[in-house]
Amino acid sequence: MFELEFLKLRKKTRSWLGPILVFWLIMLAYPLTVEFLQDKLEIGFFSVLWIAILISMMLATEDIFSEDYNDGSLEQTLIKNPSFSFIIVTKIFTYWLLIGLPISILSFVFSLGTSEDLSLSLSIFPLAIISSYIFLNLFVLGNALSLNKGSVLGALVTMPLALPVLIVLGKGLIAIQLDINYQSFIFLLLGSLSIIIVTIPIVVSYVIKAHLE
Amino acid sequence: MFNFAFNSLYEALYMNGHGLYVWSVVILVFISLLGFFIGYTVKIKKIKDKLNEPN
Amino acid sequence: MSIIWGLFFTPEDFVQGNSYRIIYLHVPASFLSQTLYLAMAISSVTYLIWRVKLAAYLIIAIAPIGAMTTFIALISGSIWGIPTWGTWWQWDARITSTLILFIMYLGLISLHNSFSNHEKADKLLSWLVIVGAANIPIIKKSVDWWSTLHQSASITLTDKPSIDPVMLYPLIGSIIGFFGLMICLVLLSSKYQILHREKNKSWVRDYV
Repeated sequence: MFELEFLKLRKKTRSWLGPILVFWLIMLAYPLTVEFLQDKLEIGFFSVLWIAILISMMLATEDIFSEDYNDGSLEQTLIKNPSFSFIIVTKIFTYWLLIGLPISILSFVFSLGTSEDLSLSLSIFPLAIISSYIFLNLFVLGNALSLNKGSVLGALVTMPLALPVLIVLGKGLIAIQLDINYQSFIFLLLGSLSIIIVTIPIVVSYVIKAHLE
Repeated sequence: MFNFAFNSLYEALYMNGHGLYVWSVVILVFISLLGFFIGYTVKIKKIKDKLNEPN
Repeated sequence: MSIIWGLFFTPEDFVQGNSYRIIYLHVPASFLSQTLYLAMAISSVTYLIWRVKLAAYLIIAIAPIGAMTTFIALISGSIWGIPTWGTWWQWDARITSTLILFIMYLGLISLHNSFSNHEKADKLLSWLVIVGAANIPIIKKSVDWWSTLHQSASITLTDKPSIDPVMLYPLIGSIIGFFGLMICLVLLSSKYQILHREKNKSWVRDYV
């Protein structure tokens, strides 16, 4: 099942390469818009990084269900498989593997390039991994809610849910920079991720059922 | 407890320079409550009229 | 209902001067904005479990009123902020969480409006309300970590209230009054929703 989802996503180059490229472009555009010296660049860099992750995840989920919905295969899988929410879990995981993980690696590279601080960038990496997975889950929910109504509506609806994660990320970053225990923030994010991973697919499967009834 | 806090109506409106803020909030709340109230009343009336028409 | 308007009979606050009188509108509004969301969440659960149609109507009936209340809380808060803090906006805990609540209300309304199939819209809306309700404490917690200008809640159930009874009683009165007004509005809007959605049923025709 996982291989199938993986293959399906890999064939759609636009869906997985697009968000990564958008992320890349935002990160490249940031130093162009400000005329700071290298050491001042760091101030705003990380907020741009988190927002870039958020936006690229939003783009990544844009057509996660729409194609399957339009050609009717979504309905078929729903009828054929009793554990529909498990399929959604694998779907989200595939998306994260092909989009979230590269973006996390890229954010590590970019933060290393900007801050020239290896330990800081190393602690950015897990934050980026976890937060991209959380964002992905949330936007999948939004997309399922606004299925066949365009993804903008879904993104708008779930954006408030993503804001606390942004706040925690900002807090965690300050903790890293001041060298107080930032691990607690990582654990906090991991905790919320573990709840989200379980609940969101279940809710999404109910939502899609409501759509197809 | 129930003493009137102001000596005159003008003073109550002015409130030592804070009146502008206080009364604008009061007006805002009043208008929005009234607006919603009237809006729903009109909507209900419209539906009722519509339903009465064919009969 | 108009108790609120009669409550301007209170002495001046030493620190903030007369502008504190906004409290009689600001606190009830922000209190109600959360209570209304809670009511929506309860009716969503009722709808999803027991399929009570009235609960679904109640959700969408409450949503615009909740949005208005949150808007009032935000605006009155920022107008209050001008004379007391010297600024109309501050990215602090409570303001931000209220703003997020406002955006959530708007999102709910726009989600419901984008579906022509009412039944489907009701179901989706209830799910979103429940997920959002789970998220509200998280939002509260996460923004509470910010250092804040906003004073903490003056009235809690467990502690002794930190404001003077002379101001407290009118405040409680205004909360109750506001509550009553909102219940009136909710009833009115649910009446509209019921009539709107059931307009083809025979009992509605009989009623009208």
